[in-house]
Amino acid sequence: MRRLARAGVAACVLVAIAFGLVQLVVSVGRLGDTAETNASANYDDREFAGGNSLVVDKRALYQARALIPEDGTYHVVAGPSVEGATELTEPYIDQYARYFLMPRRPDPEAEWIICYGCDRAGLERAAVVVWDGGNGISILEAQR
Amino acid sequence: MTVRALLGLTAFNAFLLGVGVATLAALRGWRSWGDLARCAGLAYFLGVSLFGVVLTVALIVGVPFSMASVLLIGVALSAVAFVLRAPLASWRPSLSPSREHGLGAVTFVFGVLVVVCMEALFRAGRLAGLSAWDAWAFWVPKAKAIYFFGGLDEQFFRELVNPTYPPLLPALEASAFHFMGSADVVTLHLQFWFLACGFAAAVVGLLAPRVSPILVWPFLLLVLTAPRVAGRNLDPQADFLLDYLFALAALLLALWLVEHETWLLAAACPLMAAALLTKREGLMLVGCVVMAALVASWRDRRYAWPRLGLVTAVALAAAVPWRIWFSSRELTGELPSAGALALFDNLDRAWPAFESVVMTLFDYDLWLLIVPLALAAIVLGFVAGARIVPTFALALYALVTTGLTWVLWAFTELELPFVQDEGVNPIVRLSASLVVTSAALVPLLLDAAWRGADGREDTP
Repeated sequence: MRRLARAGVAACVLVAIAFGLVQLVVSVGRLGDTAETNASANYDDREFAGGNSLVVDKRALYQARALIPEDGTYHVVAGPSVEGATELTEPYIDQYARYFLMPRRPDPEAEWIICYGCDRAGLERAAVVVWDGGNGISILEAQR
Repeated sequence: MTVRALLGLTAFNAFLLGVGVATLAALRGWRSWGDLARCAGLAYFLGVSLFGVVLTVALIVGVPFSMASVLLIGVALSAVAFVLRAPLASWRPSLSPSREHGLGAVTFVFGVLVVVCMEALFRAGRLAGLSAWDAWAFWVPKAKAIYFFGGLDEQFFRELVNPTYPPLLPALEASAFHFMGSADVVTLHLQFWFLACGFAAAVVGLLAPRVSPILVWPFLLLVLTAPRVAGRNLDPQADFLLDYLFALAALLLALWLVEHETWLLAAACPLMAAALLTKREGLMLVGCVVMAALVASWRDRRYAWPRLGLVTAVALAAAVPWRIWFSSRELTGELPSAGALALFDNLDRAWPAFESVVMTLFDYDLWLLIVPLALAAIVLGFVAGARIVPTFALALYALVTTGLTWVLWAFTELELPFVQDEGVNPIVRLSASLVVTSAALVPLLLDAAWRGADGREDTP
């Protein structure tokens, strides 16, 4: 039994070495590809990363960062009227904005409204357009 | 993504290593600088665990989070470890010169290969954007909230997805932001590179004096290069941190079962506590590792069980404040919506759940042959006449498989059968725990199989 066990140990080690060496080559190649892709991405794409699958116009969130003070609040109102929206845009844009715009806080009563395909006329409060991307996305400042 | 951020992150990890070295000095000590270098991986994870647990508890009780509080906690932990050196002297092993394998050809060659792998991983993570959904949806936002607002901000911790997930990782990430000088979510990926390096070093360091290097390095390389591990272990989310903590706790307990050195059990305690505060699955995994240790120590139960019970109680105690925090705010999501024991209302899910877990664990495209090799190593251990380590490993693999099956069975919102889309079914992420643990346990099992006995008695 001892010999059998030792033969089994040797077999396990040989399998691990063989597959480990082959996979090392494969993994290093894949990681190299990933590194190249990451290095070739522009600053915006790298910063948005996961948001690229749902953010239609990066300028809007950059504008929001510029316009809304860090201790300010905002409210994302999403709707279907965004040109080029993906199926992820409407349900998840508020989540992404929360990550991207922090330390600004989301607040339903906020002074700043990020209209992402919303019906501006249907907003509960009167607001003036501060920035308009022309694709259904705009930033509004609510009137007090 | 600046050099300043890189240097800051390196300083943060050196800081964690410093806390860990102080802890190691209290628990074990070292016989030489070479011995300390060998234990550096374990020391690093002791630092990550202790600092993470204490920082998390501090945040829960309302200590304001800042660079000063981060530094203060690290210094305080080191000071406490220094003070405890004398009272804990009886725990420390006598560090007489032991069987050292030195830097032989195997260690040199495979060490170089692992370095090649880690270098490729570093390059891949250096400029990585935050793409993983869970990372930007809640793990990193929680870290940003702690960093920007100086604590567990009520609004964000209530509104973000999975509000009951424990905050140890976000707290560590927020500390890393302070050292980097900004909430740099690109450079943050490299924090997970440090963790991967620390894990590899800890496994090698713990096994080097006990197991032949030809048994240690190939399996470590196999795990590090497995497609899923190499492809996702830099994602800034808690999965792989939990896996590393679980794997190292399992290894320390396995060694303690054989060697009965108190410091091994004591070192497992902060790792288990940190696992409990890293993800909600930590409770299941810690339960499994403790149960497996209880089973494997059946013959020795009068000695082992009270000690295991004490260490488990201490680890669980560290997780209580977080449960009080989220329960007092009526946050939910810890248990299946139908209740933890509503399994019998969904009997039709039991077999597909089990099938999904097994299929995932044996999926070559995810994990290569790691789990089949681990099972072979368990069988070989039994065949050769070893008992403790194979029993521990068998119980651990069986219990975790059962636990993963329960997750898929009980959380009825998860679709079955298994698919690789994590948003639909998290089993791929969860099954990594056993795969990563294999890097630590398989060499020990094969060593036991080769010698026909469980362990050596001269290797503290």
